[in-house]
Amino acid sequence: MSTQRLQQLKGHFLSEHKVTSMAGPVSPLSTHVLNIALGVPGSNVSLSLYRQDTPSEVWSLITTGITNADGRCPGLITKEMFTSGVYKLRFETQQYWESIGEASFYPYVEIVFTISDPGQKYHIPLLMSRFSYSTYRGS
Amino acid sequence: MSGAESSPLTTHVLNIAEGAPATRMALSLHRLDHNTKIWNMLTVGTTNTDGRCPGLISRAGFTPGTYKLRFETGQYWDSLGQTAFYPYVEVVFTFKEPDQRFHIPLLLSRFSYSTYRGS
Repeated sequence: MSTQRLQQLKGHFLSEHKVTSMAGPVSPLSTHVLNIALGVPGSNVSLSLYRQDTPSEVWSLITTGITNADGRCPGLITKEMFTSGVYKLRFETQQYWESIGEASFYPYVEIVFTISDPGQKYHIPLLMSRFSYSTYRGS
Repeated sequence: MSGAESSPLTTHVLNIAEGAPATRMALSLHRLDHNTKIWNMLTVGTTNTDGRCPGLISRAGFTPGTYKLRFETGQYWDSLGQTAFYPYVEVVFTFKEPDQRFHIPLLLSRFSYSTYRGS
């Protein structure tokens, strides 16, 4: 295949990529739910994102969503809305385990975290089994 | 104290970044009132030099229901002169059968934590 033809093909792929990314910028906050008991993504897990108002300390709901087949939930928040503050991600984990016919120790999992630099990207995974869970700040 | 039964609920907080117990961390135990949906605080405590907090609840008091262990992790890292990602950690758990014993550790660093149901 000639270099010219290869470059033509590359042009097709890149413009496809541009069209997709024009559908909406990536959320600066992302999550990934993993069922570590089965070694699979935690799909169809309902979740919600809140920000804590100051000085009232009341939680305001920002987004609700549900994880996809890969255990992810794109579009959690826009860059404009992602200001410094204290946030909470709530995962309806018991609903998830019940939907696959199992009981669980935790009725839900809430992870409260502080964003001091909203210019960065934050990845907040949840690795869970029926009787354990863990989370970390990733990228 | 020799006659006292140990609490059916225990915890153990470990600073996995240092490989040491998390000492002097404030924590509290709450039970959910299912009618009012309000959390009632049952105990406040502080972890000892081994990262443990004996005497969280009595055998008679630990009835089936929904409980929350809240760990003041932000304060803890503050006291060590460090910042952390989580201002606090709350672990909410539930059980239906009476006469249960649970061990609920918290393994943490400034940017991660994990918990599990142990014995």
